Amino acid sequence: MKRVAITGAGVITSFGDSPAALHSALSDGEKAAYRLEDCEAGVSACRQGGHIGSFQPETYLKGKPLRALDRTGRIVASAAKLALENSGWTAEILCKHDVGLVLGTMFGSVHTISEFDRRGLTHGASYVSPMDFANTVLNAAAGQTAIWHNLRGINSTIACGATSGLMALGYAADLIRHGSQTALLAGGADEFCFEAFCGFDQAGLLCRCNGHSEFPVPFSAQRSGFALGEGAVLLMLEEWSAAVDRGAPILGEIRGHGSSYDPAANGECGPETIAQAMNSALYDSGIRAAEVSCISASANGSVFADRNEALAIRAAFNGSGDAVPVTAIKSMVGEALGASGALQTVALLQSLQTGVLPGIRGLEQPGPEIPALNLCRRKQDINAGFGLINSVGFDGNACSLMISGVGLEFSRGNEISVKAAL
Amino acid sequence: MNSVPSIVVTGLGMVTPIGTGREEFWNALIAGKCGFGPVQSFNTSGYSVHLGAEILDFEPKDHVVRLRTRVIGRSSQLAIAAARLALTDASLDLETIDRRRAGVCVGTTSGEPHFIERFDDRYVQGDIANAGDGLIRGYPCHVVPSHVAAELEFAGETMMIPTACAAGNYAIAHASDVLRAGRADIMLAGGADCFSRITYTGFARLGAIAPELCQPFDRNRKGMVPGEGAGFLLLERKDQAIARGARIYCEVAGYGLSCDAHHMTAAHPQGEGASRAMVMALKQSGVAAEDVDYISAHGTGTPTNDRLETIAMKKTFGELAYRIPVSSVKSMLGHTMGAASAIEAAVCALAITHQQIPPTMNLHEQDPECDLDFVPNQARKRKVKVAMNNAYAFGGNNSSLLFRASAA
Repeated sequence: MKRVAITGAGVITSFGDSPAALHSALSDGEKAAYRLEDCEAGVSACRQGGHIGSFQPETYLKGKPLRALDRTGRIVASAAKLALENSGWTAEILCKHDVGLVLGTMFGSVHTISEFDRRGLTHGASYVSPMDFANTVLNAAAGQTAIWHNLRGINSTIACGATSGLMALGYAADLIRHGSQTALLAGGADEFCFEAFCGFDQAGLLCRCNGHSEFPVPFSAQRSGFALGEGAVLLMLEEWSAAVDRGAPILGEIRGHGSSYDPAANGECGPETIAQAMNSALYDSGIRAAEVSCISASANGSVFADRNEALAIRAAFNGSGDAVPVTAIKSMVGEALGASGALQTVALLQSLQTGVLPGIRGLEQPGPEIPALNLCRRKQDINAGFGLINSVGFDGNACSLMISGVGLEFSRGNEISVKAAL
Repeated sequence: MNSVPSIVVTGLGMVTPIGTGREEFWNALIAGKCGFGPVQSFNTSGYSVHLGAEILDFEPKDHVVRLRTRVIGRSSQLAIAAARLALTDASLDLETIDRRRAGVCVGTTSGEPHFIERFDDRYVQGDIANAGDGLIRGYPCHVVPSHVAAELEFAGETMMIPTACAAGNYAIAHASDVLRAGRADIMLAGGADCFSRITYTGFARLGAIAPELCQPFDRNRKGMVPGEGAGFLLLERKDQAIARGARIYCEVAGYGLSCDAHHMTAAHPQGEGASRAMVMALKQSGVAAEDVDYISAHGTGTPTNDRLETIAMKKTFGELAYRIPVSSVKSMLGHTMGAASAIEAAVCALAITHQQIPPTMNLHEQDPECDLDFVPNQARKRKVKVAMNNAYAFGGNNSSLLFRASAA
């Protein structure tokens, strides 16, 4: 089985467009600067979350008309550009090699789909736009991004709700491990839109503001739901020896992953299911729980999901659960759905490289039903090792991914190149 | 490579406009039955076309046992029906399997579009306060595999791969990888899409819908016929299938996936990406081009698709292309969207099993630009050891699956 190197990342987040800026803002405990439009604010009492106000597609996507791309397409194509640049894939090299793209997304663009349909209803079926129709398919952003950047390899879209991004990384890693593709961009994206906001609000899943303006705090006693955000995150994954051969910077490695489903069908993902995903990821990586140096939790302020995840971490780490530090960056970025898992992965990779794990913003007292865990209140130094990322969906999906940061295995001797270390 | 286990198909289930269940479906297919009619599920008076391929006699309660039919969408209902049929067909006793090692992988174009259509109906009527009610539980496309897993109490990986009209092939390819990697013992892989106003409106606007007939590869073809359906294959390791005495339809020999990176809705003019997918599938399977006995075409019946697909097959197979029978069952089923390639994968498995190729119906005057052997209007008995299933999608997504008769 082949090894999977992470050779770059591109992020469009509420904390800017570089992994380092993202990690630094998270480590400083900043709150995402999301923006809600008036029409959106009108449908919900929730005042947290919203659009990334600072995103300007023209900064990243130059030379071709942007008109054909909807917002999801634009944030994904932008993240792809950044990831390709970050990993040293130039347009010239892309002409000679088939690079793939695996995008996790919960909704594609439900806004595009809904607007297309509403125009048909209000103006008549012959007045819809063919260009908009092309973007109503759920794989539209992956297709548009492939066209924009000439990505001719395996192009797939993975939809597993809020676990989509992490599932996409696992799916992509397996394509490399089993030799179906040597290089691909993988990650996730979802845009903030009226339709999703409205749906989550009426499903009772958003945080209740209770008259105050606090961002939801994962695991806290006061948690009442999450803040809906947005983002796009892609990592460049390459077969290890191919990455070494082309002299690529190797930032880390995907060691393994696992996923599981809770068929109880009660709209919840139980602790056993989440623990099962973590155990599968440990098994797939050939790593013992005691070797894991940090966990990036999925927890986002949801009442049941946060509790179930905490119980699962406690169970999967069988006693060492209160030793390994656990962070929850959704205390700052909110729930970015399909982007979340990939966002956590990029942030944790930065943590493994810098040795600094962000804290859980605003966490004072965990809820009484949360078992004893080493929940990071403030940023803290961590040991080199392996990082585990969790994603827990709204309706029974759980996924875990194990990564290591490079440097960890190879940087002990100052001048040992990655190639020599192999 | 010897350590990589063979993956086999041991169960087939389908719900289609021409028949439900393996036998009824295959008999209809061989008889050349067509499933088109005027659209019933919404009013098409504002459209210039009215033809659709709907499943008119589907009763969810006949199939859905554990979940409540009223709270799940039609794609989920169709998927559950097809999944249960595949399990029954595989004579698999659910009590004997480890549910944590049983997974579901589904492809779709639209997921559960009726939920967003209901949102839009309410929105335009000004009922914004209630528009989002039920949207999150019912709409996101991953609810389809989740509902199948919940219905069957499967606790392994559940995944949706919404790569539009090639999605079923992507789901089967991934499920075979999951099994090869040892992540599961049983995978239900397939596709599902219900009839959707949004999809119909879009294809009507593109001028891609045929007014009366779907006639793939005919010089007078006028388009595709949007349809609905679901198809599932039960996949497992060959050693496990033999150990439990299962009937084996065929092996999933390999897959090829690629992207045109050319245009959202039009295929590459030289069939570049489609050909790369076919070549990759041959290579991954270790199958020589001359060993391919049958190709199940994407064959939508639109002027462009059929012409470019012919070019892609010739580019891949050269002179051999003229000797390989190719057919499009969309001439009978219409285009069941994300379900199409899953149903067509089942067609490949059945062609290998029955040594018979279903026809391309309504092919009366072959297009000179589509000059391959399209098995016109009449099923054909023939040796079929290796079958290729091709499907293409918006976004430039290309897919080829290869199925091979399983040696005893």
